[in-house]
Amino acid sequence: MTTEPEPTPDGDTYYLNMGPQHPSMHGVLRLLLELRGEEIVSAEPIIGYAHRAHEKMAENRNYLMFLPNTSRVDYLSGMIYNLAWCEAMERLMAIEVPERALYIRTIASELNRISSHLLWFGTFLLDLGGVTPFLYCFDDREAILDLLDSVTGSRLTYSYGRFGGVTMDVGEPFVSGTRAFLVRLRERLPAYKRLVRDNVIFRERCEGVGVITPEVAFDYGVTGPCLRASGVGFDVRRAEPYGIYDRFEFDVPTATEGDCLARFDVRVREIEESARIIDQALDGLPEGPIMPAKPKKRFKPPAGELYYAVESARGHFGTWVVSDGSEIPVRVKLRTPSFSNLSSMPDVLRGTTVADTIAIVGSIDVVLPEIDR
Amino acid sequence: MAGALQKIATGARSLLTGLGMTMGELWRTLVRRKAVTLQYPHEKPELSAAYRSAIQLIRFEDTGTHDCVACLACQQICPSFCIAIDGEKVEGLKKQRATEFTMDFALCSLCGLCIDVCPTTTLEYSKLYDQAGYTRDWEMDLLEPFREDEERFREEQRAREAEAAAEKARAAEAAKAAKAAKAAAAAGGEGEA
Repeated sequence: MTTEPEPTPDGDTYYLNMGPQHPSMHGVLRLLLELRGEEIVSAEPIIGYAHRAHEKMAENRNYLMFLPNTSRVDYLSGMIYNLAWCEAMERLMAIEVPERALYIRTIASELNRISSHLLWFGTFLLDLGGVTPFLYCFDDREAILDLLDSVTGSRLTYSYGRFGGVTMDVGEPFVSGTRAFLVRLRERLPAYKRLVRDNVIFRERCEGVGVITPEVAFDYGVTGPCLRASGVGFDVRRAEPYGIYDRFEFDVPTATEGDCLARFDVRVREIEESARIIDQALDGLPEGPIMPAKPKKRFKPPAGELYYAVESARGHFGTWVVSDGSEIPVRVKLRTPSFSNLSSMPDVLRGTTVADTIAIVGSIDVVLPEIDR
Repeated sequence: MAGALQKIATGARSLLTGLGMTMGELWRTLVRRKAVTLQYPHEKPELSAAYRSAIQLIRFEDTGTHDCVACLACQQICPSFCIAIDGEKVEGLKKQRATEFTMDFALCSLCGLCIDVCPTTTLEYSKLYDQAGYTRDWEMDLLEPFREDEERFREEQRAREAEAAAEKARAAEAAKAAKAAKAAAAAGGEGEA
């Protein structure tokens, strides 16, 4: 990792540090740009400013105690990470989960995915200079946070799952509230399209900018909406269904261009698909318990290892756990999508301009604590 | 030329769309009075029933106090190591009683694992939300509201447990007598045969 750039011999390029404290950089990302005039000769993401040693912390505490950490890895889709950890543990220890808990988990995860995409939508537009859409999507996102707050008691770091189920049951207000929200969201989406996608400035800044080809995507392990925008229809929910995703009907939206506009389109259509999944899950929500009849208090998984993958809002999130049969994991590795997505940036940014950098880095939707863990 | 005009037309349309949406919101806010601003601190927010804030001990109705037996389950499960408990064995009582229960709210991550593991279900979330301050001193003494009830509770509990023990002894006595009577009856029956 270069931190001090060496002066170039011919002296016609110069270095520009973008971040770690820059209004258009997400979180504390630092990009070291080598520029010739306005053109980017090379770009190097420098990470580590939000490193909190989550993986190491996992090796110093028991399986249940690591649970609150998981929603802090990616604070924008904390629910998905939280439940991924629970599901990984349940598979490792062969714990049965009641039907109702599985449905609640799916609804909560998809709501969280929508809220994450809405936040991305707002901040991406903010990066591009459009302030107003940010307010509208945060208004919608607020409705989701209120819904999740009403069942989990928290707005971002949920800690909602437990090994074997979820902590709190959802009631009639949550179900009717979610249905009302979906109606409202479906009314709003066409307005977003009119306001943003048809906007000429937005199109000029996004169309054909920052193309990630499928080859580059494969080389770096790019996943999630960024990969699907490059024409590869890979979604963990469809490719290797986990939880109860095999029971629902939904499409995996793809686009072929691979540019910022394609990534925008894919995410907006994913919001619609998530809404479809929530609809079906609400219809099928069975009555019953939300935790096993006799929940275990101490968890000692058998010796062995497990890799468990889910589709987070940003892509393929994997948890690799190695157990030696004791109460404390030997090793926990979190494969986070933002890290791989960001790794493709040196290739993608080469030859573009500084103004495009903002659009491109914004469009891949990175969450820095997730990259640094 | 035609291309430039086309561009200007599209640009104007984008502009009008944006203005239209803003005006729509303005209409909703000003005319239909759908303002959502909460005049804090004059108005207080309505917290959801599930709202999670610093833990507190539950006051049970039948005993009038908490039921912490200082088993240390919550102290051990806490991922932030922010709970400190001390307890003592009380003369005449079966269970231990907590003598010290402090929680450093500055460290707490509100995961709720302590509430899950509590064997006597005496922990719950409080609804404190305006905890901003000028110092980092968030050491909370959870036993504070219960200190004056402790002596009274111990007396009453001793009496209750003594009563329960006496009841149990009487029941055992009665059972023993019944068994003896049955045995005697059986023996009598055999004698007749």
